[in-house]
Amino acid sequence: MFKLNLFQSARSQALILLIPAFGVYTLFAIWPLIDVVILSFQEWNGISADRKWVGWENYNYIFNNDPVFWVSLKNTVIWTILSIVFPPLVGLLLAIGLNQKLFGRASLRAIYYLPVIIAPIAVATMWRWMYDPFFGLFTQILTDMGLGFLARDWLGDRNIALYSMFVAYVWQHVGFSMVLFLAGLQGVQSTLIDAARIDGASRFEIFRYVTLPALSPTITIVLVLSTISSLRAFDIVYGMTGGGPAQSTQMLAMWAFTQSMQIFDFGRGSAVSVVLLVITLAIVIPYMRWSQAREEAVK
Amino acid sequence: MNFRRSLISSVAGICLMSGAAHAENLTVWSLNYSSDAQVSALDASVVAFEKTHPDVNVEFVKRGTDEHKTALRVASGSDTGPDVYVLWAGLGLGGEYVQAGLSTDLTPYFEKYGWADRLTVPSQAFVEAFADGKHGMPYRFSGEAVYYNMDLFKKAGIDSEPQTYEELKAAAVKLKEAGIAAFTFGGTVNWHVMRLMDVLLETTCGVEKHDALMSMEADWATEPCAVEAFTEMKWWADDYILAPFMGIDHKQAATLWYAERAAMMLEGDWMVNAINESTDISKYGIFPFPTGTDRLYGFAEYMYISTKAKNKELAAEFLDMFSSTEFQTQIVGAFGALSVNKSVKLSDDALDLHKQWIEIFDNAGGTFVNGDQAFPLDVTTEYFRVINELASNNMDPQTAADTMAKFIASNR
Repeated sequence: MFKLNLFQSARSQALILLIPAFGVYTLFAIWPLIDVVILSFQEWNGISADRKWVGWENYNYIFNNDPVFWVSLKNTVIWTILSIVFPPLVGLLLAIGLNQKLFGRASLRAIYYLPVIIAPIAVATMWRWMYDPFFGLFTQILTDMGLGFLARDWLGDRNIALYSMFVAYVWQHVGFSMVLFLAGLQGVQSTLIDAARIDGASRFEIFRYVTLPALSPTITIVLVLSTISSLRAFDIVYGMTGGGPAQSTQMLAMWAFTQSMQIFDFGRGSAVSVVLLVITLAIVIPYMRWSQAREEAVK
Repeated sequence: MNFRRSLISSVAGICLMSGAAHAENLTVWSLNYSSDAQVSALDASVVAFEKTHPDVNVEFVKRGTDEHKTALRVASGSDTGPDVYVLWAGLGLGGEYVQAGLSTDLTPYFEKYGWADRLTVPSQAFVEAFADGKHGMPYRFSGEAVYYNMDLFKKAGIDSEPQTYEELKAAAVKLKEAGIAAFTFGGTVNWHVMRLMDVLLETTCGVEKHDALMSMEADWATEPCAVEAFTEMKWWADDYILAPFMGIDHKQAATLWYAERAAMMLEGDWMVNAINESTDISKYGIFPFPTGTDRLYGFAEYMYISTKAKNKELAAEFLDMFSSTEFQTQIVGAFGALSVNKSVKLSDDALDLHKQWIEIFDNAGGTFVNGDQAFPLDVTTEYFRVINELASNNMDPQTAADTMAKFIASNR
């Protein structure tokens, strides 16, 4: 009887369905997160049985003595700003183009989306070869065009390496923004566009005053997802430059990994991770609150 | 009839299962090797050991460098892991695990099997370096020297191998005047460019000061020879290394060297096989980097028995077999010119470069190790960064020395 009652209650059913997932989530997501926070206050090399409590020492080190932390923070900020500007902008332009009735539109959409499904490490390898300063595609093309003087050490020059990587990142991620914008464009009511056209609005005015406002929820989602994705940028850096030359393309996620898994200073690596977590939460929490408020307003 | 068949099947099954239960596993974790000769040598060790130990399964798990290091860390915190692991013997590498108590003291086995007498002296340099007792059995000692293209030297009017550092610089100038880059390096793998810095430190500082700097006992900021070494590094990086080099790796650097885009390459004795497999080896020569000391630049790789090994005796038997004259003769040349076993000599038909390497080893009065073997990992990472900043023209020599000193002071 007890068994029967247990399954008849909607609340019980929900609990039964959620508990296994919650258990797995706790074990593999929540606990590691808590452990990283604890580790950031400890000194541990991954071998020793003891983790020594050092208080704020790891944070003091990364803020005041770490020669790479501020470079990686600056790069992360630059990367994030670029990521919320260029992939969404190019994605929007592509979406607008591919929203028109074009021959081969479906194929073009698939082609532009294809890089999204390629593993980032494969993208990194591919682009690293294209950037080879001696035999790479870009150097060869420039040389063949008689513009060899424009060829650079794309990934070896600290002044341009970050931006060279970013081009590869845009190539891979622009399809993601494009698909979201395409979905958003489907939701723009044609009656509004027709009405604006009858009122004599130009194409730009239709876009500016009808399409763009209708796309604002999509734009917000794209920007937030782009921000989160850019803060987590790791594999493309790992695969293309490894943070070099001279750590000039390091980013917070990569530096946390390097400290923990290559230098094996898990305390400092965790402190860098916690800083990244705080920055991410500072962006995500306001978004979630805004999103919730918006949903409630709609209701 | 069916009953009898079932009975026979059951008995056969039980026999097979009991046989499997008696089979013992020996797990060896190793680095990945790219050369066919090296991979074959490791595979041959499995065959050779299983031949004399029919009830033992030897499993070689090969990983890339970073994956190997990570796997060892994970294993160190658990009850499982390898019986034997392979690692470079320096402080920040194998030495750290020795200090952490993860390596079995092999003193009883050194005595039982007479390894100290069997192995070459340079290869044993780290055996007692990091803890009481003997840790790790050397299975490879590699030297690094300058490989040069004789045709390009001739084209630049260089008649003989440089004997002094000044002669080497003069040769570099001549090569540049002939439109040939002196050296090739790959900057994406930090340790490749580091080799040049290491030998320059030996050149400008001499034995004692260089050792004091690498052991972090001397102050990099106030030691003039450290600044001088960085100054020399900059001299090479500015004009005498095939540019651009920060965006390519060591393999691309070697490809450019084969393509005669540069005359020299600072590489290890293992490179002889690769050159022989890639091009006409007769046009290449080698000479030790003229540091002015008689020490050979190089490093060792050891096989350690884990303290968590289930059967240490069996693991020691494997190490004994690997370093034996018989097996080392079988794989001679695979891991470099010089076997760790004193009794193993190169055959008469060995490659000339291998023979030249033996001369270099014989003439060496000692060894000094690569920076990434000498330093702990965090200092190594900073050492890489400083060298790369200097080589990229973003740091001057005095700042480079100051930066090293500051990092060491704040971390040690």
